[in-house]
Amino acid sequence: MRNRPFLFTLAIVGYVIMIVPILFVVLSSFTAGSTLSFPPQGFSLQWFEKALAYEPFIDSLGSSLLLAILTTLIALGLGVPIALAIARSNLRGKAFVQSLFVSPLIVPELVIGLALYQQVMITLRLDSFIALMLGHIVILLPYAVRVTGATLALGDTSIEDAARGLGASPFHTFRTVTLPLMRPGIISAALLSFITSFNNVPLSLLLQSREFRTFPVTMLDYVQQSYDPMIAAMSTLIMAGTVVIAIIAERTVGFAKIFGGINK
Amino acid sequence: MIRRPKLLLLPGAVVLVLAFLIPSLAMLFSPPSTSTGEVFAKLGAMLTDPYDLTIIARTLLFGLIVTAICILLGFPIAYLLARSVSRFAGVWLALAIFPLLLSTVVRTFGWLVILGSNGAIGQIIVALGLADRGPQLLYTPLAVVLGMTQLFLPLAIISCYSAVAQVDNNLDDAARGLGASRTRTLWTIVIPMSLPGIVVAATLVFAGATTAYTTPYLLGGTGQRVLATQLFTYASITVNWAAASATALIMTVLVFLVSGLSSALASRKGSIS
Amino acid sequence: MSTPASGATASSTTPLSSVAAEFVGVSQVYGSSVAVDNIDLQIEQGKLTTLLGPSGCGKTTSLRMLAGYLAPTSGEIRINGVDSTRLPPEKRNLGMVFQSYALFPHMTVADNVAYGLKLRKVAAKERDARVAECLDLVGLGHLADRKPKALSGGQQQRVALARAIAIRPSLLLLDEPLSNLDARLRVQMRTEIRRIQSETGLTVVLVTHDQDEALEMSDAMVLMRAGKIMQTGSPTDVFTAPANRFVADFLGYENFLDFDGRGLITVRPEHLRLQPAGVPVYAGTPSSANGFVLPATVTSVAYRGTDEIVTVTTADATPLKVSMHRGSSSAHLARLHPGDAVDISASAGDIVSLPAEAA
Repeated sequence: MRNRPFLFTLAIVGYVIMIVPILFVVLSSFTAGSTLSFPPQGFSLQWFEKALAYEPFIDSLGSSLLLAILTTLIALGLGVPIALAIARSNLRGKAFVQSLFVSPLIVPELVIGLALYQQVMITLRLDSFIALMLGHIVILLPYAVRVTGATLALGDTSIEDAARGLGASPFHTFRTVTLPLMRPGIISAALLSFITSFNNVPLSLLLQSREFRTFPVTMLDYVQQSYDPMIAAMSTLIMAGTVVIAIIAERTVGFAKIFGGINK
Repeated sequence: MIRRPKLLLLPGAVVLVLAFLIPSLAMLFSPPSTSTGEVFAKLGAMLTDPYDLTIIARTLLFGLIVTAICILLGFPIAYLLARSVSRFAGVWLALAIFPLLLSTVVRTFGWLVILGSNGAIGQIIVALGLADRGPQLLYTPLAVVLGMTQLFLPLAIISCYSAVAQVDNNLDDAARGLGASRTRTLWTIVIPMSLPGIVVAATLVFAGATTAYTTPYLLGGTGQRVLATQLFTYASITVNWAAASATALIMTVLVFLVSGLSSALASRKGSIS
Repeated sequence: MSTPASGATASSTTPLSSVAAEFVGVSQVYGSSVAVDNIDLQIEQGKLTTLLGPSGCGKTTSLRMLAGYLAPTSGEIRINGVDSTRLPPEKRNLGMVFQSYALFPHMTVADNVAYGLKLRKVAAKERDARVAECLDLVGLGHLADRKPKALSGGQQQRVALARAIAIRPSLLLLDEPLSNLDARLRVQMRTEIRRIQSETGLTVVLVTHDQDEALEMSDAMVLMRAGKIMQTGSPTDVFTAPANRFVADFLGYENFLDFDGRGLITVRPEHLRLQPAGVPVYAGTPSSANGFVLPATVTSVAYRGTDEIVTVTTADATPLKVSMHRGSSSAHLARLHPGDAVDISASAGDIVSLPAEAA
């Protein structure tokens, strides 16, 4: 590998661009000083304390978690039946149906957000939370359909035939055989959806209200107004949390399966 | 076998129609307090107005440059990792993919620490004696390009990785056995065979880069307006619904065109081989 | 729609008639392709019947129609005298073993075998006893708590068998059960399945493309081709008297001749005898009116360990294969080369007449 200097150099440049900004953020969060700069001055956990005490952060964190959990559950509830219908029936035009439900992926999130902002919040005068929920469900549905669908497609259909042959009704077969086998796919879809919803900026930006703001949006506002290490500390905390979730996901499902669902 | 699949599709379809299809159509044809046709009139105006055209051009340019850089840097990473025999290849891959789990805000604002006049780069330049004050690299095209590259490299790496991983190792060996150098093997065997995956990577990056909001907003400021930031301005600040819808339409058409182009390319390549 | 009111399963007590299942004018047509073409077939109670034929002949389709996974486009399927054509699979009480075994990967071996019993609300104690009984029958009692992925292919297949038998089905259906096993295991399992069938007295329908398997295991053979039944009968009947060219060819009669106005005849490679040309005919070689002697030229000689295959061409360019075992005749072979002139002979008793070909 060392004897391909050109490729290696390009690779290093790539990694530097990807990792260094994140690294700087993490390091800057431990500064004892009062400005967000690199190199950090001294070592202190003060900014972590301040970050955890800062109400807007904590409130919006709760909002984001609530939104992510709700929309993930709803998206799965809508998407798993769709994946089943596509994988286990004689439906005509399966490819079309699949691409229909996956189509929100190609539309820019800002556009989806604008459409909902205009029509649901302004025209229909509905609460922004409803618009936000709808928006997140729309962008999560493709993951629910495609990732669980991939698991179903890989499975051996004769297992379900075997259950039927042994006397199980279609519903009983679903409950005792199909659903348990879909578990890895459902968990992967759930994790992907949760992350997508939690981290979402465009939709949550347009569809926010004074009462309900998501975490990334709160961070965005903060960065523009006051530029201090508290935001770095908050970011580091979020990263730590994400690492923990990622490790749990690896142990229960395995990375390969999760990211297999992203690729077209 | 499911006897009545349409029942299972119904709830999802209802949500999709009510929350996606209908609002999208309404956005084009009847935004709040605007008459039908006003959107398209505004669209026509925007496509001839130099101010708007500059924004569109800038968006496209950013898209192309970022795509090129992401492929240029991402493919080597994917290739080296896919062909690596080291135990750590998995760790490096995870390191490249992990940022995808974080929000764009967290990933982007680190550049503020690096590119400001007092940022890391500025300090280095002053320390080296190259200038008295660090250059203000923020709010420049360079900043936006760097930020978006950082954002979309992992995506490019994933796509290229799965493409390269599917190219049978034995083919490399066969070529080498016939006398091809490693570089020649790379250019004549691996790259042509990974091309579909590279096209997917380019499509994803371009679509993302032309519709990105956070990075141009944080790192570009008012001097580097792109379609996404314009849309937000029209929607929240100046509240010009026709303009907002028109901008949205331009963004969507751009992305559709690129997706369609790459699908067409993919199926043509498929029929040739 | 003849579901008994009391439960979900068709009767599994021994019927008076000896016909366990029947296909009456059954067809399966998709658009313009005909997978099964108007077949009539009776499966005899307590016997092992094989559906044999090349891929695409309709044997698996027929099995799936019998099991209820596919509805015939016309005709009737009767199980134990009852018209079951429209009955869904879960109501037919048939035990099926799939080619991929289809074990439930998230359940242990014991739970797999118990699955059908739980559905039938069999009491826990009796259920456990039956599971143990079936696992012992297939020799896997010690693996009851393992998961399928920890088992070898042969073991998985036996679990699949145990699972199908546990529900006391009226028929046991096996879809190419041995194709995924290696050669040695395949031969072993043939005896196993035969033993299980005779110990339980179950009626078994087995689908295979392997003629050796069918010949060794069957009480009755059904040869199929392009959706039609070509011949039925016991292995001996079918083997010694193939009814047409397809059956003869499928069962390894590789020599087809038509000369001297005899019509189409066939002889097995093992029954042809070969001598170098000009050598006097031994006693025992055919001289009766219906045997024959033909001059031919050697084209190749191949050693196969158990025998030697000599390919020859007759005067009218018909290729023939002669299988010669080590023994007195092989003395010639050391000196046989391509191009040598030989005489090929067969006795009347070894010659099978076939109907003239339509196509």
